[in-house]
Amino acid sequence: MLAGEMSAWGFYGQTLGEDESNAKSIYKTLTLGINKAYARAVANANKKAEFKLIAPSLTGVNLAKIDICSDTVHATFDEDPRDVLLKNILALCTSTSRDMRSVSKDVRYTYIDIQTGISRELFCSTEGACIDQSCTLTQGLVTVVAQKAGGIPEVCNDYVGGLRGWEVLKGKNVYKQPFDVFALLRTRETLELIESEFLPATSEPVVVVTNPHFNALLVHEIVGHPAEADRALKLETAYAGRSWLFRDFQDNELGKQIASSLLTAYSDPAMDGYGHYKYDMEGTPAKRVNIIENGIFKGFMNGREYAEVLNQSPNGSMRATESELVPLVRMTNTVFANGNKPPGEIIAEVKEGYYIVNHRTPSISESRENFRISAQKVYQIENGKITGLYRQGGITADSKDFFMNIDAVGNDFEIFPVPNCGKGQPMQIMRVGNGGPTLRSKARLTGRKEL
Amino acid sequence: MISVEDLRTCVRNGIDFVKSQKDIADVEIFASWNEHITVRLNYTSDILCNGVQEPKSTQVNGIGLFAVFKTGKEIKVGFGSVSNTMSPKGVAEAFQKAKRNKIHDPDFKSLPESAGKPVLENYHDPAVMDISDETIVDLGWRGLKGALTEFNQKYFDKSIIIGGDITIRKERMAIASTKGIDDFDESTILTANMTAMVEKEKVKGAGWNTSTHVSQFNPEEAGHESAESAIKTIGGERISSGTYNVIFGRQPLTDLFINIIIPALSLSSVNASDTPFLGKLGKKIASDLLTVYDDGIIKGAIGSKKISCEGIPTGRTDLIHQGLLVGFLSNNYLSKKLGNVFATFIPRNGFRYSKGIRSHTVQPRICPTNIIIESKEKVDSRTLLSKINDGIYIGRIWYTYPINGLAAGDFTSTIIADSYLVKGGKIVKPLRPNTVRINSNIMDILHNIIAVSKDTKQTIVWGGEEVVIAPEIAVQGVKLDNIAGFIT
Repeated sequence: MLAGEMSAWGFYGQTLGEDESNAKSIYKTLTLGINKAYARAVANANKKAEFKLIAPSLTGVNLAKIDICSDTVHATFDEDPRDVLLKNILALCTSTSRDMRSVSKDVRYTYIDIQTGISRELFCSTEGACIDQSCTLTQGLVTVVAQKAGGIPEVCNDYVGGLRGWEVLKGKNVYKQPFDVFALLRTRETLELIESEFLPATSEPVVVVTNPHFNALLVHEIVGHPAEADRALKLETAYAGRSWLFRDFQDNELGKQIASSLLTAYSDPAMDGYGHYKYDMEGTPAKRVNIIENGIFKGFMNGREYAEVLNQSPNGSMRATESELVPLVRMTNTVFANGNKPPGEIIAEVKEGYYIVNHRTPSISESRENFRISAQKVYQIENGKITGLYRQGGITADSKDFFMNIDAVGNDFEIFPVPNCGKGQPMQIMRVGNGGPTLRSKARLTGRKEL
Repeated sequence: MISVEDLRTCVRNGIDFVKSQKDIADVEIFASWNEHITVRLNYTSDILCNGVQEPKSTQVNGIGLFAVFKTGKEIKVGFGSVSNTMSPKGVAEAFQKAKRNKIHDPDFKSLPESAGKPVLENYHDPAVMDISDETIVDLGWRGLKGALTEFNQKYFDKSIIIGGDITIRKERMAIASTKGIDDFDESTILTANMTAMVEKEKVKGAGWNTSTHVSQFNPEEAGHESAESAIKTIGGERISSGTYNVIFGRQPLTDLFINIIIPALSLSSVNASDTPFLGKLGKKIASDLLTVYDDGIIKGAIGSKKISCEGIPTGRTDLIHQGLLVGFLSNNYLSKKLGNVFATFIPRNGFRYSKGIRSHTVQPRICPTNIIIESKEKVDSRTLLSKINDGIYIGRIWYTYPINGLAAGDFTSTIIADSYLVKGGKIVKPLRPNTVRINSNIMDILHNIIAVSKDTKQTIVWGGEEVVIAPEIAVQGVKLDNIAGFIT
């Protein structure tokens, strides 16, 4: 709620359950929530006015104008999650786990988590919006730990998922594989890794070719988060940091070259992926945001309040994990655009380099101006051919250097589910879609020993 | 708000209902009510802003029910939960879900048994339970005032950012089971976690304050500390890549513990074969200067609890004693699964934390209460600096992750604030923020500790639910890399 003479926010959230199963009790809960949010907003507005004397940049909240919508968005699925028997989900979990264990005695631990369901949200505002939006989500998580006796374990966590029904786990997914086949593939890859050498680190940049799965995490951390307007406006300074794309209104990267002209990146909630939706949680129709066009930084994902401050049009990027939480600016389906070079050709042109395959864990500098991201697998490239496999390696670089050094963009675009993006206080875990094609650039290798 | 009495009635009556159902061998019912209040702060001197961005809260209550079914010789277990009800109908619905979900779990042994008398009683603050909306909002503005006043007094009025939050947690839970557990817990926690910047000077400072009682809570102090710390680090210098002796301050030490060491000291990581401490119980894993334990009964500490979410009284669990690995954090399930294999673990740390609250929607996982770090030889701050002689004091790090998996122990992190160059045992200059990345291995850090400070402070970090009562520690030979060359 926005209230008070110098308008300010107040918020109240509560989960609903059995006790709200009729209109009378829903009304009671809503009345409580409205009264609480109002009391907080008014108290906040009064304090803001009092502090204006020593803090002149304080202002009342202004929201950028949007089209006020009434709409119903239905969930999409071939196989309705409500028709999937729980015993069938349990059976898939247990049989997949058992099959993974039976591949080798070196498989020390397996963990399977499967979910399928439909969520429904109703958004109404005093401006007249009334949006009834449903969404299907089906997801499978695989964790496998493999270890040779006396060796260092190798761990793999990966997801299959989509905003569709049970058909996702039968093969309608980015991997075009049934979930149990995907789980076995990741198990065998992990076992292959425990037989491999540790990647030596380098002190100087080398040629690296990064695959679409790895680039999903790269675009997430280095493009997606820094292009969220609330970070640019410093609201995340105490938490996940600021943005390397915006220091202040005079000193920022808007309209400037931050990457090779081969690189384009955008965020598109209309495309199929974990970041798909039609309206955000302020009722704004969701729009595509062109973040980087041919190497030039173009703009931010935003919400109504931040769009007003930045003098931009709202693009519908405000989402909360659950309805009882405050919406934040969230990336949608944020990706590197497809290029035109076959990935095989990109590798074949490399005399000496490394092929960085599938993302693992990121560590990012405060404004995301530098990164270290580990890979599940790293292969050596010698004279255009993939040779040795290494484990526990990755790459590190200053973000702008990495982007400016990109000299090839593949034509093998893929988008992957990223279900665990943390932001805010209290922490909200959001589903987003990330991906891109194969890229070639330069970065230092990270590993367990120096080359 | 739901009273403790209502929660207790719900679980006690629920037990009577469920144990009369067909094929029930045992049952455990957990009911909770929680309110999580956050006042988010955002002041930017050069961008229009709200100061207090929003006071907000989420309230969650419900029932979690775990049932053990026995048909002939076959044992099956199931869990079900319902939200926003304490009614008999709610218990029946949770039971139906548990029955529908039941499955044979070969690793399940039995429910927790009653184990002694809790130490803590009446340690919450009734004034926090009844806190008004006006007071909540006021706490946020008091935090901002602390930082603004410090900046104003030092004549900084441009390029200022003040962020962070005031968080208040109110928790009530009750648990009963057919194994004789019948208890409740009630706690209150207040934290102020603040960050201040003078952005044109590229400096950032942190400040925090914690309490279980509102009368002792001081958000102004956190604000003041954050601004003071930012101002102190103006004019920082870069360092070149290399190996340095360092002091990890309280925040970085807490970050290392929350993201790497505590997860590695949990039986869940042992169960998954994903800890660098696997097979090392009773062996030396750290400098003999280091002792670490979990202690849930410290009055006034914000991680303290009367009982776990399994109804077990909290207490002290030794983890590392003078460099030797002596224990792991445990819950009932894993203590019984792994307990007979190689040691005995007291399951004091089975908590149902989810989204920062004691949630009825999840089964107990392993979480610490208060993690205490100390040494047999504690030194004062001056001696600590002299131990590294030349090196770096690291005051705040960020995005600390076990980059190659927990078991490998490799981690990386960037130094983002509150840090200094040390020469001849004295702090001489600030370190330029965001220009150094730590690339190291946690086993090297633990083995290379050369001193531990006397003074400690309850420390929390963003994204972590854990509380570390943290000293500062000196470590030799830490690999630091000079990064982001474009930052001038």
